[in-house]
Amino acid sequence: MTFGRLVWKDLLRNPLRLVLTVLAGAVGVMAFIFLRTVVDLFYSSAESAQADRLFTRAKASITADLPLSYLPRISTVPGVDDITFYGFFGGRYGDSQRDFFGSAFVDPPSFMRVFDELVVAPREVAAFQADPCGALIGKELAKRYGWKSGDRVTLQGTIYPGEWTFNVRGIYDVRTGSLDTNSLFFPYRCLNEKLPDERKDRVGAFMVRVEDPSRSAAVSSAVDAMFANSPYPTRTESERAATLGFISMLSAIITAVQVVATVILLIILLVIGNTLAMSVRERTRDLSTLRAMGFKSGRVVMLVLFESLAIGLCSGGLGVLIAPPLVRGFVAVVGSQMGGLPADFMREGTLVLGVLAAVGVSLLAGIIPAWRAVRIPVAEGLRKVA
Amino acid sequence: MSTAPGQEAKSPLIRLRGVSKAYRRGDIVVPVLENVDLDIEAGAFEAFMGPSGSGKSTLLNLISGLDRPTTGVVEVGGQDLARMSDKELSDWRAGHVGFVFQLYNLLPVLTAAENVELPLLLTPLSRAERREHVAAALEVVGLGHRMGHRPPQLSGGEQQRVAIARAIVTDPDLLIADEPTGDLDRKSAEQVLDLFEVLHHELHKTLVMVTHDPHAAERADLVRHLEKGLLQ
Repeated sequence: MTFGRLVWKDLLRNPLRLVLTVLAGAVGVMAFIFLRTVVDLFYSSAESAQADRLFTRAKASITADLPLSYLPRISTVPGVDDITFYGFFGGRYGDSQRDFFGSAFVDPPSFMRVFDELVVAPREVAAFQADPCGALIGKELAKRYGWKSGDRVTLQGTIYPGEWTFNVRGIYDVRTGSLDTNSLFFPYRCLNEKLPDERKDRVGAFMVRVEDPSRSAAVSSAVDAMFANSPYPTRTESERAATLGFISMLSAIITAVQVVATVILLIILLVIGNTLAMSVRERTRDLSTLRAMGFKSGRVVMLVLFESLAIGLCSGGLGVLIAPPLVRGFVAVVGSQMGGLPADFMREGTLVLGVLAAVGVSLLAGIIPAWRAVRIPVAEGLRKVA
Repeated sequence: MSTAPGQEAKSPLIRLRGVSKAYRRGDIVVPVLENVDLDIEAGAFEAFMGPSGSGKSTLLNLISGLDRPTTGVVEVGGQDLARMSDKELSDWRAGHVGFVFQLYNLLPVLTAAENVELPLLLTPLSRAERREHVAAALEVVGLGHRMGHRPPQLSGGEQQRVAIARAIVTDPDLLIADEPTGDLDRKSAEQVLDLFEVLHHELHKTLVMVTHDPHAAERADLVRHLEKGLLQ
């Protein structure tokens, strides 16, 4: 027999309780991984933001627009390599909330240059640029609705009222970056021509590519200084900062999710702690017998902590096994509402964090029972009857 | 003290001098043992009797290093147990003392062999050597054929014999038995006491036993009585 076998045998003393504890822990780990993934989803676009792109928007509000006439002026700022613009269209396809996806107007040539992470067949790029109301759609969106090049898609405008019909001219994928593959882009002129005069030639934001990312701060300051005394002052920041700005609007939700994830860890702690406390209390005489034989307190503490660790590892392992299907199901349902998410969105780091959290929490849960096991005098413990 | 010519001076294995033990229950101090002087020779088989609360088990705990005296000296094999740290006491017990308890105190999830092997986990013996020692100890108590059985599959008498095998497997100098027949029927009790006699006479173990049972006490070389913490 070995010390490990002793731990194992003690663990199996009450198999039903062990199974229930491990299951409870696994469900907790699964929920923890799920919630951490939800938080990761929010931040994923910020983390993949391009270092050489700046985002220039109206200083007043992220929802306010800017004159298109700013474009040539921004282009003259030293350090600016290229520039494009876009604006949220907010079109809706169908009546269901689930049918909402990202839609925006762009300037096709400069958009393709600045967002060079887009992967589109050259023939489709040409078709997109040639058609005044052509649409470039992400591959996830195309897959979702079964759209292909040549199809006509009609969206109900929310920011720009009316029905707007676009011709699908290409399907894009992304190599990396902040763009998802669940959006639709169309040329600005398709919209602009039909807008009343007071809404013409206005865009949501400019995306500026800088020559040297290390000079982004200087370029940002120069752009904003240029329009500081204009009717529409600007705010320029890195793409990452801009994305985080969007996310900050959801900070209350994210904080709530993080709090719930922490509470779940606390629940795991209590469940495993309770199990170990019961187990140790029932074995007071056995553990005292070991101590009477000469097992030192440290070894008895290790015995309890190893049991705790084993429960944590089993819970963590099982939780990691059952979490991915749950997350995939969640992403499939809500991914489109969150701007489009890849179905396989789950980080290995989150899974590792789930296991580590389970192990850490279980060890923590074992400390008090372990301490209680050796705190009682041996002679007194020997008299205890389970 | 002078010694007659040809007679070897023999110091006792267990020597208690002025030993008192009191427990504190809140603000109240409860004396359990008072000023006990005691010598037990190596190889002796002594029994302690007395009514409940007389201090028998406390005395046994002091002799076996499970507890410390409030005052006085407890020496076993020339070592002052009161001066040892908890870790030193653990090591000392592992090497010198075997325990037999009234309720056997076997781990129910382990087999008889695994229970007997437990004290050997604290020794540097290899797994094969441990297995040999375990087999030998179980043969001594007549349970070589029950090695793979767990305690719930054994009778009370058999469990106590497994506990005796566990107590002797490290070949300790001192065997401590606290009411070893208290939970057994007469036949099983006799078997256990027979085993004690074998350990005493053939293996020359020092046996200190606490018992309420006069039949069990009769097997000892010497029976001592405790009354209200005083050794009679």
